[in-house]
Amino acid sequence: MPSRWPPVGERLRDVAALLETEHLTKTYAGGSVRALDGLDLALEPGVTGLVGANGAGKSTFFRILLGLTHPDSGTARIGGVDVAGDPVGVRSRLGYMPEHDCLPTDQTAADVVATLGEIAGLPSRAARQRASDVLDLVGLDEARFRPIEGFSTGMRQRTKLAQALVADPALVLLDEPTAGLDPQGRHEMLDLVRRLGTFGISVIMATHLLDDVQTTCDHVVMIDAGRLVASGHTESLLHTTGVVRVDVGLHGAALVTALADRHPTLLTDGTVELAVDGDDDLDAIVAAVADAGLPLHGLTSQRSSLDDVFLADHQQRTAG
Amino acid sequence: MTAVDRAGRVYDRGYRPYDGELGGRAAARLALFRASVRRALGMRRSWRQKLFPWVLLAIATVPAVVNVGVAYLTRDQFEDAIEIITYREYVGVSTALLVFVGLTAPDVICPDRRHRMLPLLFSRPLTGADYVVAKVGAIAAIVFAFGFLPQVLLFVGQMLVSDAAIDYLTDNAEVLWQVPVAVALLALYYASLAVAIASFATRRIVAAAALLILLLVTSITAGILAGPEERHLPGAIDDGGSAWAAVNLLAAPLHVRDLVFEGEIVDGRLVGVAGGPAIALAVYLTVVGASLGTLLWRYRWVEA
Repeated sequence: MPSRWPPVGERLRDVAALLETEHLTKTYAGGSVRALDGLDLALEPGVTGLVGANGAGKSTFFRILLGLTHPDSGTARIGGVDVAGDPVGVRSRLGYMPEHDCLPTDQTAADVVATLGEIAGLPSRAARQRASDVLDLVGLDEARFRPIEGFSTGMRQRTKLAQALVADPALVLLDEPTAGLDPQGRHEMLDLVRRLGTFGISVIMATHLLDDVQTTCDHVVMIDAGRLVASGHTESLLHTTGVVRVDVGLHGAALVTALADRHPTLLTDGTVELAVDGDDDLDAIVAAVADAGLPLHGLTSQRSSLDDVFLADHQQRTAG
Repeated sequence: MTAVDRAGRVYDRGYRPYDGELGGRAAARLALFRASVRRALGMRRSWRQKLFPWVLLAIATVPAVVNVGVAYLTRDQFEDAIEIITYREYVGVSTALLVFVGLTAPDVICPDRRHRMLPLLFSRPLTGADYVVAKVGAIAAIVFAFGFLPQVLLFVGQMLVSDAAIDYLTDNAEVLWQVPVAVALLALYYASLAVAIASFATRRIVAAAALLILLLVTSITAGILAGPEERHLPGAIDDGGSAWAAVNLLAAPLHVRDLVFEGEIVDGRLVGVAGGPAIALAVYLTVVGASLGTLLWRYRWVEA
């Protein structure tokens, strides 16, 4: 772990722990509202999804990472640097994209991003050049000289992302970057977020949309009521469920009859779902399909989604 | 297919890292200061926004132009040049400066809150104190420039129309420091008070009205409490004035201006009051201190 923040241009790719928190706790209203409740985290560089319902503590977590509010107890270190010890220094290497509208509508995107680049520490000429580059990157090459008041929601979201990138941050905090976007805009925004990871920029993306995380992020952190629910590689959280789905075209009913002893379920799309226990069961199903003279179009193992992981934990704690 | 591809571009330059130096708090403060000055002067904005400050500067310059013009036209008729306005009187005499501050201070403060830009600004290497310094500094710098440039015009014009320019310069050498100091104190007063009031408003016109109403109300209140002005006119019975005149926040910077130029208060109802200069200074410092303190409190949410 480095003892100091990496210099400009150096990425956090080789840092063992991008972000570490120990017993991070933050309360409001005299302690009656616990926004964060002893959060222990260790994140690697990459694209991380921070998942939680509204009020789960995501925004408070971001404010603490930005040094804009102090935790009641616990510590947060980014790239080995204690946020509370050097908040201004940490902020100089972070980019932040808030969830809400935050752009002056009477200025052009180029002016806004360049000005924010200068305030982030870039020399004036470099700020204008980089504003042009990042607006180009997010797909606002021709629109950058137009006032923001004429921008669509998607264009505003891209401008917000551009201002977060203009000073070449080592880590970008994105708060609900797909909020308010139509499916097309959402797809494009998530594509941009994925690309940031390939540029060596680490990302923490707060969202309540588990699908966005599942398709975009290398790592997942789930929090609920300020507490850690799950954390790890996205793939590691998506375990197999022991259920397979068999596609035999229009002959689902015939397959249900052939496999009646295994209690299959005929789904509305004509596929058949049934529980298995090991590879021998899979071989037996394939043999049964062949014996019945049915065409085997597909045999897929069903995996849990992040929704399943989140709901399972929530139900467990509710029951407890 | 990426968003960029869909836009019809034939190539994608990708992402280019920045390998130069990044400034810290000082650079952030300076950048915010410059952005605020640009905004106040209407730069990179519509022509309407540009027109307003320069019209006000022109209005503030009118007394200097008139004074120099009259001095030029009457240079052969009188032994001493006609002086319509003195350098002391010219500091803060133009309401154009006050109107400018009233309308421009909200314009550099209010949009940041109305557009919810503060999280964007404070996610950069900037603290609440840096923000206050940059914003007040920007307004103060413009007020100083708009208050000082007409004085320069007046001084240079008077010097050129005088019989002996060098003699004029040496005879009036003291104004070379008195004017900038007095204008700077006036600029700090106007800027800190106007920005502090604007920090509580979201609409420009509301903030401007609040500033002018505050100054007007304190002026009227001081007038009522201190009694009529006439008793201080030449020939009138002078009862020593009234310390209540210090309540007039409109006159507070003018009292300090008098102290810079004359070492005593020479205008208004605070004339002749025992300890008047100390009271005037105390009021000035209290208003500036309270205004800056209020601003630091308003932006305290950035804890570090």
